[in-house]
Amino acid sequence: MTDEQPINEQESLRLITEMIQKAKASHFHENGTGAILWGSVVGFCGLMSFIEDYFKLNINFDWWILTLVAIIPQIFISIREKRNRIVKTDMQMAIDAVWMVFGISIFAVVIYIKVIPESSARLFASNGITLFQKDANDLIEPFKPFALSGSSLLMIIYAFPTLVTGLARRFKPMIYGAIACYIFFIISLYTSTKFDNLLSGLAGIGNWLIPGLILRNHYKKGKGC
Amino acid sequence: MFKELDPILHSQLRLAVMSLLISVKEAEFIFIKDKTNATAGNLSVQIQKLKEVSYIDVTKQFVNNYPQTTCKITSIGIAAFEAYVKALQEYLVVKKL
Repeated sequence: MTDEQPINEQESLRLITEMIQKAKASHFHENGTGAILWGSVVGFCGLMSFIEDYFKLNINFDWWILTLVAIIPQIFISIREKRNRIVKTDMQMAIDAVWMVFGISIFAVVIYIKVIPESSARLFASNGITLFQKDANDLIEPFKPFALSGSSLLMIIYAFPTLVTGLARRFKPMIYGAIACYIFFIISLYTSTKFDNLLSGLAGIGNWLIPGLILRNHYKKGKGC
Repeated sequence: MFKELDPILHSQLRLAVMSLLISVKEAEFIFIKDKTNATAGNLSVQIQKLKEVSYIDVTKQFVNNYPQTTCKITSIGIAAFEAYVKALQEYLVVKKL
């Protein structure tokens, strides 16, 4: 293509359409390495855990730990993909944000699963309660209960759309609001359920109300122009 | 009375560059070169012209010791492109009549 070629109106319009189509066709450029990695790791961990449990094999290894190990190659894959990316689109940024927040959410749920039994035992102990369990051989040992904290899980879900929107739109109040929500989530893991409503309320204020008021302010200013 | 078509945009390669950049957030020089099939020299000249009228932002940096040029359409560029398309449509409607 040279710049000296004269063009008429129809050719201009055709050229615009052609270039927009070409740009759209370039939106999918990932080679799927990340998806293959996680599909393989999660598939393997699930199948091995099932086989161990179903056939009562005494391997005594938590296969799901491999998902944490898989984070290392994923970091390298992400860096390489970012480096090789020669075009950046709004859609791509939104998709990146969804997967990033999905990763954070999974990580938060894993923390929840690991922390809650210890935290529950400590909270029971603070009320003078210690639980024990007796196994089939009449052996008595301390028992760590898994007290479900629905509010903690809800706070992970609260933060999801806010952080995705904040990252995709580069709107900092939403990013900070979602971070505040994650902080309240972490606090909720270590506090008793009587504080859950307070933390949920604060999460709602930080996550939605404050960014919403800032958005409204921007909207009013824009309308006034 | 017809609006005059923007002479900066009414040229094949510059219009192609702007049409690509309007569809993406930002693009590297190599991407634009690949999609327009232009020579590097000619493309550099046209990108410079678009930059001079503030239709695009051009960022140059070194990544792994290789020069990397990234282009991004500006709000002035978006407005100019929209006005150009509108003017173009007016021309075509009248020609049909």
